[in-house]
Amino acid sequence: MSTKGASLKGLLLVALLVSHMLLTKEGVTSLPICPNGSVNCQLSLEELFDRAVKLSHYIHFLSSEMFNEFDERYAQGRGFIAKAVNSCHTASLTTPEDKEQAQQIHHEDLLNLILGVLRSWNDPLIHLASEVQRIKEAPETILWKAVEIEEQNKRLLEGMEKIVGRVHSGEVENDIYTPWDGLPSLQLADEDSRLFAFYNLLHCLRRDSHKIDNYLKVLKCRLIHDNNC
Amino acid sequence: DLLQWPQISKCRSPEMETFSCFWTAGNFYNLTVPRILQLLYKKSNEEDWKECPDYITSGQNSCYFNASYTSVWTPYCVQLASKNEVYDKKCFSVDEIVLPDPPVHLNWTLLNTSQTGIHGDIQVRWDPPPTADVRKGWITLEYELQYKEVNETKWKELKPRLSTMVPLYSLKTARDYEIRIRSRQRTSEKFGEFSEILYVSFSQIGIGCDHCTEEVEFPWFLVVVFGVCGLAVTVISIMLSKQPRLKMLIFPPVPVPKIKGIDPDLLKKGKLDEVNSILACHDNYKTQLYIDDLWVEFIELDIEDANEKNRASDTDRLLSEDHLKSDSCLGGKDDDSGRASCYEPDIPETDFSASDTCDATSDSDHFKKAAEKEEDLLCLDRQGNDESLPSLASTDPQRQHRNSQSVNSQPWAPFGDSVESPRPSVHTQISNQNSLTSTDFYAQVSDITPAGRVVLSPGQKSKLGRAQHEGCTEQNFTMDNTYFCEADVKKCIAVTSHEENEPHVQEQGYNEDGYFTTESLTTTVANLGASTAAPLSSETPVADYTSIHIVQSPQGLVLNATALALPDKEFNVSCGYVSTDQLNKIMP
Repeated sequence: MSTKGASLKGLLLVALLVSHMLLTKEGVTSLPICPNGSVNCQLSLEELFDRAVKLSHYIHFLSSEMFNEFDERYAQGRGFIAKAVNSCHTASLTTPEDKEQAQQIHHEDLLNLILGVLRSWNDPLIHLASEVQRIKEAPETILWKAVEIEEQNKRLLEGMEKIVGRVHSGEVENDIYTPWDGLPSLQLADEDSRLFAFYNLLHCLRRDSHKIDNYLKVLKCRLIHDNNC
Repeated sequence: DLLQWPQISKCRSPEMETFSCFWTAGNFYNLTVPRILQLLYKKSNEEDWKECPDYITSGQNSCYFNASYTSVWTPYCVQLASKNEVYDKKCFSVDEIVLPDPPVHLNWTLLNTSQTGIHGDIQVRWDPPPTADVRKGWITLEYELQYKEVNETKWKELKPRLSTMVPLYSLKTARDYEIRIRSRQRTSEKFGEFSEILYVSFSQIGIGCDHCTEEVEFPWFLVVVFGVCGLAVTVISIMLSKQPRLKMLIFPPVPVPKIKGIDPDLLKKGKLDEVNSILACHDNYKTQLYIDDLWVEFIELDIEDANEKNRASDTDRLLSEDHLKSDSCLGGKDDDSGRASCYEPDIPETDFSASDTCDATSDSDHFKKAAEKEEDLLCLDRQGNDESLPSLASTDPQRQHRNSQSVNSQPWAPFGDSVESPRPSVHTQISNQNSLTSTDFYAQVSDITPAGRVVLSPGQKSKLGRAQHEGCTEQNFTMDNTYFCEADVKKCIAVTSHEENEPHVQEQGYNEDGYFTTESLTTTVANLGASTAAPLSSETPVADYTSIHIVQSPQGLVLNATALALPDKEFNVSCGYVSTDQLNKIMP
């Protein structure tokens, strides 16, 4: 009899704990741990979008700063701007280029595009973080920003996949992806060419992070706030 | 004027949907045939340069690209050219050149006022620029508000924020304010233009306080008053507190010049005569200090006195008390003045020569002159070696006592009066001796006879040049001091006795070498001590003086080893003094 009572008490305690956990989730400032497939533990779509927008803004902010620092430190006097063809490896992905296009595209397609761009940047960011350390006298700020961007990009990718899983009604298409082949250019022996490759890559990163940030904000305003941010 | 080429001044997009480029024509225009400037543009993925689609909308010397021509994240290049020449070129992408329009519809509302009505809080609201499509989230804007009083020149800035309303706190209701706002894209650095100025006037809504112009200034007067009061209270509390440490810390005691026993007023007045007399006349304190504070620095030798007293009994002279009393001495003076001061280590540097009233003082003078050597004072009897060290004197207890007494009496003699009859004025005798030797300034008082006479040990004797060395050279005397044990002297005397010309009278012996031995008093053989002392002493290096290290008791002194090289001797060999090391070896 005592064991039965004890097990009942234990069960009650567990139930109380779980309910407490669920009830206080609003006060959580950090991402709670939601086991996959768990029905009870779920962030709202609004919350997910909020977090995604924050992350994308942060990534764009870091990319912008990193580019400016690199430009200041290495690109002055080399005429990189004039030479800049700015062919980013993600140019092959047809993304909306203006507001109308962004308004017209379906949100699911836009989400997929976002996912595709993020995935395409996964690889280059890893290599960027490692190769930028080989630049002669690279400032510490550039180094840690590269690492930070790579980490945050992973997190944003996870968040986007969650959103996509939430929003998508049908099958999730995961074939949007552009491979990156710019690694050899980052490892060129000639310093000028190598620095130009970095300059290009950072420029593309700044642009693409801005794109993603914008798309997410558009989606958020559209889906959550009904075009009334 | 300098020649200025046409150049593109800037390209700008207010809302990330359109953009315009502006240029300056330069001063070519006036000089030559007016050239037609063209703006050509090219997207990065295109080959050909195209001409500007709209030269008008944005004003003169501008080119406007509407939404259909604008691709946001596409790189553009524009160039300013005429038919043949390219004057300027710029490459950019539209997302990099976003400079939003200023906000519109600024207004303010009163939140509340302070109780006195002097200050008030307001809320400022505005709308985002109409061109920027913020509602669809296409562009996210940040706003920076600046405000100032109407007659001020410098604007105060608030931090950029995303919201379109901001409160302003603690504005003076008596003053009017100006407010302006500008915006920028959130991740950019550059701001757009400022909005129109918003005027804030409290009097318009009827709460202006015209007479409330006084400003709360920093109450300096109150601060000073309270600070002084607090400090005074603290100081008083510290002074009155019973915590001695705290008091010492904050108010360290100021050392007052004070010689123990001397009235400071005397010193102030500068009457040295009186001071000297006081220092000389401390009868009662002598005894105490003998026991407590024994140290000998030097013994005064009065050379003049020695000449006067021919063959008189030097001992008598030593022991006589006449010279020791000063006319001005106040015997038995009970007050504190001057008594202890003589025995203070740091005192007798003053010039006592001014006073002749006391022999003591004059003696001290001589002492100072002669104060170069310090001889050993105690003679260690070999027999007494095994005994406990504190009794460094001879085995004879009586002698010990006398020794100590004699020793004790030495330093005080110069200052001194006769305190006790047995206390001799050593100085007179010594000075007598010194006149003969002219080098010896010290004499060890080894004993005091029952009659109260002083017996001095033989000391350094190099001047008289005795030849009778041999007998005593056998002895392994410790020549590092100038005194000899009686035993040694005895032996020496015995050896050399045959060489003596005649048994010296004690006094005569004194005259020759100025030293006494204990033996010489008790036996007639002792008078040879002087002669024997000479050879013994002349051979050996002599320590000049030995400082007293420890005062063990009234019966003994422990002396430090001298600076001169002392060959290490065993204790039982040495006759003279015991160094502290030897002492340490012996003592438990």
